[in-house]
Amino acid sequence: MGIISFILIGSSLAFPAVALYALWWAGREGQLRHHDKAALLPFDQEEPLGQMTDVVLNRSSFPKQTLTNKA
Amino acid sequence: MNYGPLLFLGILFTLASSWFGLVVMPNQQLGSLQPNMDTNTGVVFPQPLPGEAAQGRELYRSLGCNYCHTQQVRREGFGSDIARGWGKRGSVARDYIYDRPVFLGSSRTGPDLTNIGERQPSYEWHYSHLYNPQTTSKGSIMPPYAFLFELRRVGPDGPSTNAVKLGGEFAPEPGWEVHPKPEAKQLVEYLRSLRSSVALPEAPLPKLE
Amino acid sequence: MAALSPWDSNLGQSNRAQLAEIDASCRGSVLLFFLSGMLWLLAGTVLALLASYKLHAPGFLGDAAWLTFGRIRTAHLNAVIYGFSAEVAVGVILWLMCRLCRVPLMAQSLINSAAVLWNIGLVIGIVGILAGDTTGVEYLELPKYCTPILFLSFALIAVWTIVIFRFRREKHLYVSQWYILAAVLWFPWLYSTAQLLLVMDPARGAVQAAVNWWYGHNVLGLWFTPVGLASIYYFLPKVIGRPIHSYYLSVLGFWTLALFYNWNGFHHLVGGPFPAWMITISIVASVMMIIPVVATAINHHFTMIGHFGKLKYSPTLRFIVFGAMSYTVSSLQGVLSAVRWFSETAHFTHHTVAHAHWGMYAFFTMTMFGSMYYILPRITQREWPSERLISLHFWCTAVGIILYVAPLSWGGWLQGKAMLDAQIPFLEVVKVTLPYLKLRTVTGVILAVGHVAFFANICWLLVRTFGPYRQPEPMILAGVQPQTAPVGK
Repeated sequence: MGIISFILIGSSLAFPAVALYALWWAGREGQLRHHDKAALLPFDQEEPLGQMTDVVLNRSSFPKQTLTNKA
Repeated sequence: MNYGPLLFLGILFTLASSWFGLVVMPNQQLGSLQPNMDTNTGVVFPQPLPGEAAQGRELYRSLGCNYCHTQQVRREGFGSDIARGWGKRGSVARDYIYDRPVFLGSSRTGPDLTNIGERQPSYEWHYSHLYNPQTTSKGSIMPPYAFLFELRRVGPDGPSTNAVKLGGEFAPEPGWEVHPKPEAKQLVEYLRSLRSSVALPEAPLPKLE
Repeated sequence: MAALSPWDSNLGQSNRAQLAEIDASCRGSVLLFFLSGMLWLLAGTVLALLASYKLHAPGFLGDAAWLTFGRIRTAHLNAVIYGFSAEVAVGVILWLMCRLCRVPLMAQSLINSAAVLWNIGLVIGIVGILAGDTTGVEYLELPKYCTPILFLSFALIAVWTIVIFRFRREKHLYVSQWYILAAVLWFPWLYSTAQLLLVMDPARGAVQAAVNWWYGHNVLGLWFTPVGLASIYYFLPKVIGRPIHSYYLSVLGFWTLALFYNWNGFHHLVGGPFPAWMITISIVASVMMIIPVVATAINHHFTMIGHFGKLKYSPTLRFIVFGAMSYTVSSLQGVLSAVRWFSETAHFTHHTVAHAHWGMYAFFTMTMFGSMYYILPRITQREWPSERLISLHFWCTAVGIILYVAPLSWGGWLQGKAMLDAQIPFLEVVKVTLPYLKLRTVTGVILAVGHVAFFANICWLLVRTFGPYRQPEPMILAGVQPQTAPVGK
């Protein structure tokens, strides 16, 4: 049980403590709210929700109305 | 929802945990093992490799032998390693203290070599096998290491005793003979040095029946 | 960049001009990583075919040390891991980060010098391996005279990623960004620790094997896997036009992967000369991996449900869905392989080789192919020249890798069973594996055809100077046409 064991045990207590504090802090700051809104991030006005992108193969059989650009 | 700081902390702490657990802790427990001296016989084990075998070990590394051959014997009751004669006892961490790098290996495309020095002590077998594995092990998929050998003309005093004895389809043209280069000698010295017949306090040899 | 304002922090406000500028800014650097990665893929494929053929025809090209199996196999591994996989991964990271942070690619000279350095280091390293300078440490074979170059290069990549993150215009973070940030921060840590304790100043004895597998498993699990998952989480919703099924589930998947994956490494040492606690802790962590894997699988599957018909039209979707399914299969196979009773048989056999290819090829490589199919037309503003080559690429790689890994997993199991019976001579065990090794060479040829088809299509895409392909109105490039778009406010 040298100094290194002391450091190991100490740090294995300290790290989770800091982690838990960070989680509590983040929750208090409201960082964990409205999480699922981020699911919309890949989409934008140009490539909006509900529109398939990357139609490359078998184009002739692709339903036409979904292909045309909205505007 | 800018939780960047939280994310960074999480990323660092998760890896830090296994860095402590799987790097620092094993180094604490196994990183300063010393060789053992048997109080009855005075034998010290393990020992650093002598020069030629150490050079052979470098060849073993450079040719990538460790991708098809392991050097670790699993304990009795877990796998057939001991039953196959690959070692007399299971390997323990202390066996490897002088190895740089350690050749535990991860694949047994070929057999384990922990105890090859006891299983095949003959220089002749090793030379022949390295020159072309088919000479001793028909059907083996080990590549030939003929580039560790050279062809020489038979001298005026007749065939040299150092030449590799090769019969049948493997024999060189009449008037020529196959000699091991120094590299082949080193590699064979290394292979012959691999033995697992010395007991350690944490790994006794099984009693003979 | 002033031209890009006004930006606001509301979701989904990039207009056509902004997207076009981001994509165009990525062109040079992403192409540099993609093209050099593809060259490494072709080199790695040739080396793979040689190595595979040699394993059932041992005399083939056996007259020179640099062509021996032990070196060719090692050169193959390093060419596809550090050449193809890592470089294409960085290319995908660049584009995804720019798109999701909604900023054009900054500090181009920084990232381009990283690409050049990485390739120089790797050429030196692979030549070194063929010349016999391998370190002999699995997954870290590149000789020590080239690894500082690689480390410097990766440090630049990590710095670039953090710079982009710091200057992002979109304050919200998407799950793909977590995976990418984690990957670029985890990898330098893993690599430097492993280099230090294994190559520069080796630890004592068996500790090296411990560090080796902490690194070896994590380089796959904490570097390639996060990049692959980042791609799936972005492209799957993007292509089908529907958000990920449950964002909370993706949070769970990320943090459980971060917690458990990095403790997995020692399941490669089952039966080895180590105290039981080390092995057991990794087996436990490996079994815990069921949580992130199943969470991710459920999430992806429920996102795709009702949209499988779209596979007909999108090459990206085909490769990404194949990769996502393979992630589930290969991860569950990995969990199984970690358990002691299974390991007793399958450890040390070709089963492990098959598992590595489930993960690195059927999951990761296929995912990267899919990402490249999406990114390349957008950064070059050109359409794929040949649908036939796309189909050939997809079917060769999909069929080829299934025919590779499924039979070889089984063959490895038979090999292990035969090896467990000490009455069966070793050469008979070798005989058991031969049909599977030969089949592997055949599948290697099929995969090679797919790779050549893909490379040809990329070259064609880059050299053609004529206008949009076939159809009169822009379709897949709708988002990146430089003309002004009507922005509905």
